[in-house]
Amino acid sequence: MAISIEIQHLTKYYGKKQALSDVSLSIPQGMFGLLGPNGAGKTTLMKILTTLSKKSGGEVAVCQIPIENSRQIRNITGYLPQDFSMYANMSAYEALDYLAVLSGMDRAERKRKVPLMLEKVNLSEKQKTKVRSMSGGMKRRLGIAQAIIHDPRVIIVDEPTAGLDPEERVRFRNLLCEIAKDRIVLLSTHIVGDIEATCENIAVLKQGRICFQGKVADLLSLAEGKVYAAQIAAAELEKAKQNYTVTGILTTGGTANIKIIAEKQPFPQAKQTLPDVEDAYMYLMHKA
Amino acid sequence: MEKYAKLTAGFIKRQYYPHLLLVLLFVTASGGFVSFKGLSETQASKVMEMYAAFTGILLFTPLFMPEQDGQIWDLERSKATPMWKLYLPRFLLAFLVFVLVLSAFLGFMVKGGGSFDAFSLFWGACCEILFLGSIGFCASAVTNQAVIGYMLSVIYYAANIGGGKYFGNFALFQMMRGEYGTWPYWILGATALFTLGVAVRERMALR
Amino acid sequence: MFYVLFCKECKQTVKSLVYYIYVVVFVLFITSQMSSEGSLKLQEPQPGQSYYGEAVTKDQTLIMEKTLANLMQDISRNLFATYPLGFYKGVALTAPEKEQAQEILERCTGKSLEMLEAERNRYFGQYGQPTPKDAATPLPDYKVPVREGLSYGEFEASMKEICSLVGKGSSYEKSSYENKTYVPMTYEQAKAEFDALCHQDRITNAFMRLFCDYAGIILAVLPIFVGVSRMLRDRRAKAQQVLFSKPAPAAAIILSRYLANLAMLFFPVILTAFLLQQPYLYKAQTLGVRGDALAFFKVCCLWLLPEIMTVLALSFLLTELTDTILAVFVQVAWGIGSLFGAETLVGSFGLHLVTRWNTLGQSTLYAALEKDLWRNKSYYVLLAVLCVALTVAVYDKKRGRGGSILWKNMQN
Repeated sequence: MAISIEIQHLTKYYGKKQALSDVSLSIPQGMFGLLGPNGAGKTTLMKILTTLSKKSGGEVAVCQIPIENSRQIRNITGYLPQDFSMYANMSAYEALDYLAVLSGMDRAERKRKVPLMLEKVNLSEKQKTKVRSMSGGMKRRLGIAQAIIHDPRVIIVDEPTAGLDPEERVRFRNLLCEIAKDRIVLLSTHIVGDIEATCENIAVLKQGRICFQGKVADLLSLAEGKVYAAQIAAAELEKAKQNYTVTGILTTGGTANIKIIAEKQPFPQAKQTLPDVEDAYMYLMHKA
Repeated sequence: MEKYAKLTAGFIKRQYYPHLLLVLLFVTASGGFVSFKGLSETQASKVMEMYAAFTGILLFTPLFMPEQDGQIWDLERSKATPMWKLYLPRFLLAFLVFVLVLSAFLGFMVKGGGSFDAFSLFWGACCEILFLGSIGFCASAVTNQAVIGYMLSVIYYAANIGGGKYFGNFALFQMMRGEYGTWPYWILGATALFTLGVAVRERMALR
Repeated sequence: MFYVLFCKECKQTVKSLVYYIYVVVFVLFITSQMSSEGSLKLQEPQPGQSYYGEAVTKDQTLIMEKTLANLMQDISRNLFATYPLGFYKGVALTAPEKEQAQEILERCTGKSLEMLEAERNRYFGQYGQPTPKDAATPLPDYKVPVREGLSYGEFEASMKEICSLVGKGSSYEKSSYENKTYVPMTYEQAKAEFDALCHQDRITNAFMRLFCDYAGIILAVLPIFVGVSRMLRDRRAKAQQVLFSKPAPAAAIILSRYLANLAMLFFPVILTAFLLQQPYLYKAQTLGVRGDALAFFKVCCLWLLPEIMTVLALSFLLTELTDTILAVFVQVAWGIGSLFGAETLVGSFGLHLVTRWNTLGQSTLYAALEKDLWRNKSYYVLLAVLCVALTVAVYDKKRGRGGSILWKNMQN
């Protein structure tokens, strides 16, 4: 069975408010990044893919299974919600074991896989730690362990690195990449750095619509020739911010090095420079 | 001052209003459950002690509802404002509603033309019902679970129906038996439990 | 999967504070109530005793006499106990209403209230007892003779008038005075009762009914808190989303939770019942009766299990539906209402949540009413099953929406 997610003309309404509008996406095997500002509809899309929210229109199929077959979909997906937590009085081992039962795993399988997963996410030594006394990073790692324990073909991870320290974030990203070798890992984030480091394919959501879909390189090429660097007087910073989309500022003494996104050269001393993913993303967001 | 008024308004809007509505329902529906007409001393205290008593449980137990969410609790702890300053306005709000409700019940009874001493009944009932409410308050403060607050105060009420003798001077339903002298114990108990509840929260906040 | 979930759920329950409070309060309550019961003194009645206890009578004259005695006391104190909506409501009459009631009394007895009061005082005086001013009912053998020629039909009509004065749910309703008029038993009656207690109930069954009477009171309320706190735990722990996303069927999740909590609630009940039954088994032996050693299990299953099932199931349903502690308010009111609303402390099961049998014995009456009890309990078992089924449906629905079905969901 081919591992892919096919979304066609997906719409979602909350009452009268449209959260997703005509979203069409094809997600292949590997890491897939879903970018977008807060409120763009990322979580809504993920909830629909995990059958926790019903679509209002369109077609969605996960590995050829229509999304309506929620039981089957749940069997082949693993989900790590934005603010994952478990019963405070359970230990890491108990929590993982409990969630494994809910995933339909039998005793022997759990006995084998629970310690394995804890080791994979580096929680072996903390298996007796109660959920109540876990740090944010530990909870996330436990969260990813529960999402992959039943060996799903699709893993959906919502804002996984928010609130993690830089070291934890890197470790977490590497873990996701490792998992993505033979399945889909759909990763939503508004932190551009996460995507840059891990995903080949991405989509950008803006106000419920897909405004970009493709490879990271394609996103970069969109912004090529539209990013300028300039050195200006620190006093002029405010004026520059008002007139242009400024994506970077480094102030030293009385001068400021800034990065600007603009369709054409904004002022004579501004020089064209190579865009990074963040610039490209900002360009996309500020394009009308 | 304005800050606390705003915080309390937020508390009402997000957590407390269903409880206030319930109290309102409790008062307006009272006519169907109890009679206010021509009550004797025993009958009047029965209305206060057995029916109006629930007001205390309803009003004082849910005062820590917002902090049941660990994130809100952590946020509050991180602020310089001491906990009691946060809880005092909530308490005063509940207390104000409480006095209004008891006055309403007393008003109904006085209007119904009974033969009882309105002042001693009102004072006794205030102390007693505050005491019952303080049990729920303290229990939910300590356990951070409103459910346990309700559980313990309801159990205390129920236990006093048949087993008042086990609670000595802190037993409820004394006025129904013509005993009007135990109010100092009630008010003492109430003060102790309210203070204990807030003190425990202060300690928890520093942990 | 089901069995594993069930076991894990039991373990969760044992770890919760609410459960400990439940166990402690239940055991304290039941032991304090049962220890004040002097029923171990149970003895075979002997001829020539001055008092043999009391029993319900169907004799029309006795019914009239006792009811009028009651009426006289109520008018005299001007306090009528009524249960219009299940809750106790003491009704006091206004002056003109009281006058009307006095007229009715006079019509039935042929004597004025003052005369009757004087007679009563003389009656109690002769026993060296003060007038039972605040007692709820006069002594069992106190009666007021009816007016000569008063027919039962006239009496019924008069009581109807009283009912219209004091409102619904008083003891002057036909269903009440015809089923709840107690008179002292004769030696023969008492002997027959004792024999039934020994042979029909084999003593322990009768004792367990008394146990269930007390336990039933507190079990109308305590399981609410266990149920509510369990169903709120997912939300409190912020585990809802991840639990929703698992393939386990809603029925397996909810049923395992329900049955685990039910088992954990019932276990201390059955254990306490077993322990408290032991002295009665021994007592039966001393009376030459082979006590029923399994009574604790049989009687508790019939009397208490359906009640716990219903209380727990309803708390599950209301909490899952609203995601609030609404069940606490609704069900505490129901429990207390059902308790205060009992027409009698022995029998009158109707569809009351709390079924009462506040006596050791009355085995013949029980045999006659057992069918009513089965009807009551079957009704509550069905209600519990319905509530659990609805909870499953609600859970499934919430799962498809990622949150509450009543309130607006977070959009992102």
